[in-house]
Amino acid sequence: MTGLVLLLGIVGLFWTPYSTTQMNAAEIFQGPSFRHLFGTDNFGRDVFSRVMQGLSATIIISTTVVCFAAMAGIVIGAFTGYFGGALDEVVMRITDAVNAFPSILLTLVILSVLGSGRQNLILSLSIVFVPSFVRIVRGEFIRLRDADYIKRARLMGVGGVRILFVHILPNIFSVFWVSVMIGFNNAILAESGLSYLGIGVQAPDATLGNMLADAQGYLQVAPWCVLAPGLTIVWLVLGFSLLSEGIRIGGAQND
Amino acid sequence: MIKIENLTVAFDGADAVKHVSLELYDGEILGVVGESGSGKSVTALTLMGLLNEEAVVKEGRVIFDGEVIREGGKPLDKKLYRKYQGEKMSMIFQEPMTSLNPTQRVGKQVEEMLKLHREMKSAERKNLVLQTFRSVGLKRPESVYDSFPHQLSGGMRQRVMIAMAVILNPRLIVADEPTTALDVSVQNQIIDLLREINKTHNNTMLFITHDLNLAKRLCHRVVVMRDGEVVESGTAEEIFEHPREDYTKRLIEAVPSRMNRKKREIIRENPVVEVRDLSVFYKEGDNSLFTAGRNHQVVYDANFAIYPGESLGLVGESGCGKSSLSKAILGINQNIEGRVEQYTLRPQMIFQDPYGSLNPTKTVGWLLQEPLRAAARIDKSKAMSKSQMEEMAYDMLHKVGMKDKYFHRKPAQLSGGQRQRVSIAQALITHPGFIVADEPVSALDVTIQAQIMELMQKLQEEMKVAYLFISHDINVVYQMCDRIMVMKDGRIVEIGDTEEIFTNPQNPYTKDILYLSQA
Repeated sequence: MTGLVLLLGIVGLFWTPYSTTQMNAAEIFQGPSFRHLFGTDNFGRDVFSRVMQGLSATIIISTTVVCFAAMAGIVIGAFTGYFGGALDEVVMRITDAVNAFPSILLTLVILSVLGSGRQNLILSLSIVFVPSFVRIVRGEFIRLRDADYIKRARLMGVGGVRILFVHILPNIFSVFWVSVMIGFNNAILAESGLSYLGIGVQAPDATLGNMLADAQGYLQVAPWCVLAPGLTIVWLVLGFSLLSEGIRIGGAQND
Repeated sequence: MIKIENLTVAFDGADAVKHVSLELYDGEILGVVGESGSGKSVTALTLMGLLNEEAVVKEGRVIFDGEVIREGGKPLDKKLYRKYQGEKMSMIFQEPMTSLNPTQRVGKQVEEMLKLHREMKSAERKNLVLQTFRSVGLKRPESVYDSFPHQLSGGMRQRVMIAMAVILNPRLIVADEPTTALDVSVQNQIIDLLREINKTHNNTMLFITHDLNLAKRLCHRVVVMRDGEVVESGTAEEIFEHPREDYTKRLIEAVPSRMNRKKREIIRENPVVEVRDLSVFYKEGDNSLFTAGRNHQVVYDANFAIYPGESLGLVGESGCGKSSLSKAILGINQNIEGRVEQYTLRPQMIFQDPYGSLNPTKTVGWLLQEPLRAAARIDKSKAMSKSQMEEMAYDMLHKVGMKDKYFHRKPAQLSGGQRQRVSIAQALITHPGFIVADEPVSALDVTIQAQIMELMQKLQEEMKVAYLFISHDINVVYQMCDRIMVMKDGRIVEIGDTEEIFTNPQNPYTKDILYLSQA
C-alpha cells in the first residue's frame, strides 16, 4: 500500500492528469468524481493532481534529507564510536546542543537566516536530523568495537578504516535501516509541518503541507481538499512505521 | 516415587525429547548426563512444570507419588502444579546471578518461599532462614540475609539458591548444571554440600550435568541422554566402569584425564615471546575529557618465555589475571610496565566463545582470506592473486577438517565446534609463530572438545606454532601442554614441566587445585 503511494509520488514527478497550476473558475469546489478523483479546490485545480505533485515534492525532500543525514551520521558516528577520546566528547556535546532545541524550532531559525525555499529547507532539515543518526551509529560501533571478531581483525593487522566500514558496518545494518525508516517519517512530518506554516516549499508549487494550509479555510465547504492531503500523509507515515517494524523483526530473526 | 513415562516434548514441531522414561526412587541422586541438545534440561523443566509456551508435551505422563501431574496432549494444570512447586519439588539453576532478583535483599527472597507456603510469624520465618543459611555453609548468615545478590560471590549466591531450594524440605530437588558457572574449588564445595543435604534430609535429587566427572562423584544412578533419547542408564559404577553403549564409551573417553598423554621433547632456544617483569594495569571507568580513570594493577611481575612449537598452559581461577596477561602479551592492552619481546610476526588469538569470534555478516571463505589481505596491505611483498588466496583458504579449511561446501556459508550456519575450527584456521592461515588460546574448548561439549584439542595438537606438529593455552580445567591443560604456569591473584606462583607440576607441586595453591580436580 505504501508502495502505491510512493508510486503515485514518483509518477507525479513527470506527469499529472491535469495541470497543477491551471485554474478553472468553472469547476470550483467540485466533489470527488471520476473526472476529478479527489475533487477540485477553490481555484478549480484538480486536487488529485496536486496531491501527486505534493507527494513527489515531499518524497524528494525527505529522501534527500535522510540520505544526507544518514551518510553524515555513519561517518561521524563510526569514527567517534570506534576511536572515542576527545573528538568523541566534542562531537557528542555538539549533538547534545542540537538535540536540546525542538527540531522544528531549530529548522525555523535556520530557515529564517537562510531564507525559505526548497534547497534551504533540505539543508536545514538535514542539519537537524544528523545528530539522531550519529547517536545510533555511534552506539552500535561502541557495542561492536569490543566484539571478539573485531579484536581478532585488529590482531591480523587490518587497518582502522577497513575495520570501520568492512568489518563493523555491515553488522549494524538491521538497526540502521530501522532508524532510516523512522528518520524518513520524521522528515515527512517536518517538511509537511514547515510547508503548512508557509516557510517550506512556496506556492504555487504544491506540497502536502501547503495544500492543507490553503484548504483549511474551506473545511466545511470542501472537506475533500483537506482530507486528501491529510490522509495521504497519514498513510505514508503509517506505512513507513510498519515497514521499519518489519525490518526490525526480520533483523531480530537473523541474529 | 517419581516416574516419567514415555515423554515426548516438541519445539516448533521438532521433538526435543523423544519417548523418555525415567524413574526416581526415594533418597537417591539420579544424574542425567549428555551434551548440549540432548534434551536433559527440557526433561527437567517438563518435570518441574516450567516449560515455556512454545513447547508442546505431545505424549507421556509425569507421575509424582502415584498422582499424574502432567499428561501428554493436555495443557499444564497450573493449580495442581502450584501445590507441588516449592512444597514438594524445587529447582537449582546454573546461573545464580540471574535467578536471584537483583533489587531485593536475598534474605527476603528466601523468606518469600515461607510466606507462600507456610503459616508462620515473621520472627519465626527469619529464624528459619538464618538457620537454613547456616546449614548450607554460609558464614555470618545475618549479614548475608541483608545483602543484595551482587554483594555476594558466585559460590555464596549458589548457596543462597540451595537454601531457597531446601528450606521447605521438598521431596525432590532438581539441580540443572548447578556448578557450571563456578570455579573448581567452589564447585567442589557445592557438590559436597549437595551430597550432605541428600544424606541428612533424604531428599531425592535429579542432577543434570554435562560434566561426567561430577556425575561420577555425586550420583547413585546415571542416565545418559543423546538427541532427546535415553542411551543408557544404570548405577554410576555400571555406567562409568562397564559402559555398554558405544556413545557412552566415547563420552567417557573424551573426558580429559590424566592418562594417555604424549610426551614431547621441546628445544628451548630462540623464544617466540619473552616476558620480563611485566605488570599489567586496568583502567577503571571511562577516560573522559574531564576525569582520568583509576589504574588497577591486575598482573604483578610476570617473567617467562615461550619457545617454538611449545604449549605453555596458564591455569588459574576466574579473576586471577589470566586474560589480562594474555591481552598484554598481544598488545591489546598497552597499559603495562615491564617488557614483552615478540620474536614472531603478528601473534593471533583464539577466543572461548565460538559465537562471538567470527564476523556474522561474512562467509567462511571471506573470513579465511581476510588475514592474507591484511598482511598484503601491510607488506606489499606478501601480495598474492585472488586465486592463490582462495586456494590457500581452501587448503586451510581442509587442514582443520572441514569440507569445501562450508566455504560459502556464514557462521550462523555452522555448529559451535565448526566455528571454533574456522577460528583456528583463521588464526593459523598466516603462519604466525605464536597463538594465544583463551579457553578455546571451554564452551564446547566433551566429544567436540576432544576433537578440537586433537586438531590443535596436530596443527602444532605440522606448523610448529607455539600456544599459550589458557584454561581453568587443569586436566585439559595436562593433555595439551608441555609446561604449566599457575596464576593466583595476579602473580605467577609456579611454573614448570607438566609432569613435574603434577607429580611434585611446590606451591600450596597448586597442590590445592590438583587435589580438587581429581576425578
